[in-house]
Amino acid sequence: MTAPTARTDVTPATREETELVLAGLWRVVVLNDPVNLMSYVVLVFRKVFGFDEPTARRHMLEVHERGRSTVWTGVREKAEAYVFSLQQWHLTAVLEPDETH
Amino acid sequence: MKRIEVKLSLPVVAPLLDLIKQAVDDLGGRLAAPQQLQDLDEELRAAWKHELLSEQNDECRRFLALFDREFFASGTVAFDEANAESMLRACAAIRLRLRARELADLPDQVIESGGSAVAQLGEPAQKAFMCYVFLATLQELIIQHLDSAILDG
Repeated sequence: MTAPTARTDVTPATREETELVLAGLWRVVVLNDPVNLMSYVVLVFRKVFGFDEPTARRHMLEVHERGRSTVWTGVREKAEAYVFSLQQWHLTAVLEPDETH
Repeated sequence: MKRIEVKLSLPVVAPLLDLIKQAVDDLGGRLAAPQQLQDLDEELRAAWKHELLSEQNDECRRFLALFDREFFASGTVAFDEANAESMLRACAAIRLRLRARELADLPDQVIESGGSAVAQLGEPAQKAFMCYVFLATLQELIIQHLDSAILDG
């Protein structure tokens, strides 16, 4: 009887998945603040993310009513750039790892 | 170039400018909306903060510059495609600072309802509230008239 050998074969699909986990997907989450005007937040979402008016309004209302809204999900570098842009507009935004993928 | 001129009441606005300038001075070394990125590389976070602060301070200074000699002669300030975005952001930064400092003790409901609840505040808080509302009014005017310039810019 021989001891089973550990297999280290990695298929391309598995490697891709591992790289994705390592690189990670990140969420850009905007947090509510009691100061900025609703119309201002809608404008910022349209400007920064290119949302149409209804989408921007939906996210603004989600921030207002639930305290937070995920406005974008993707690679870390781009998520950081979005958070920076939101901070230029004085919105409170955070990065969170997206564990749903 | 699209441009709006806003005629303001000098007796109402002039007394607010000292408090607005104080808020701008107070913002000097801090971000109006603090960074909440604990896991960001320390060097990157410092560079990031430096750039945001520099931009914030520049925009606030440009906002204060609206209230120059000409303003005190005519009571008018002007917004156009070139300054709309930075003026909008400066107003947001100053409002955040006023809320965090002069209006910190007031519940959100009081701020949002305005009216009679605010009338019962002491003089310093009333003045801060007037600044807060004044800046919001300017923001609404800019958004109403220059939003397409901001979105296309």
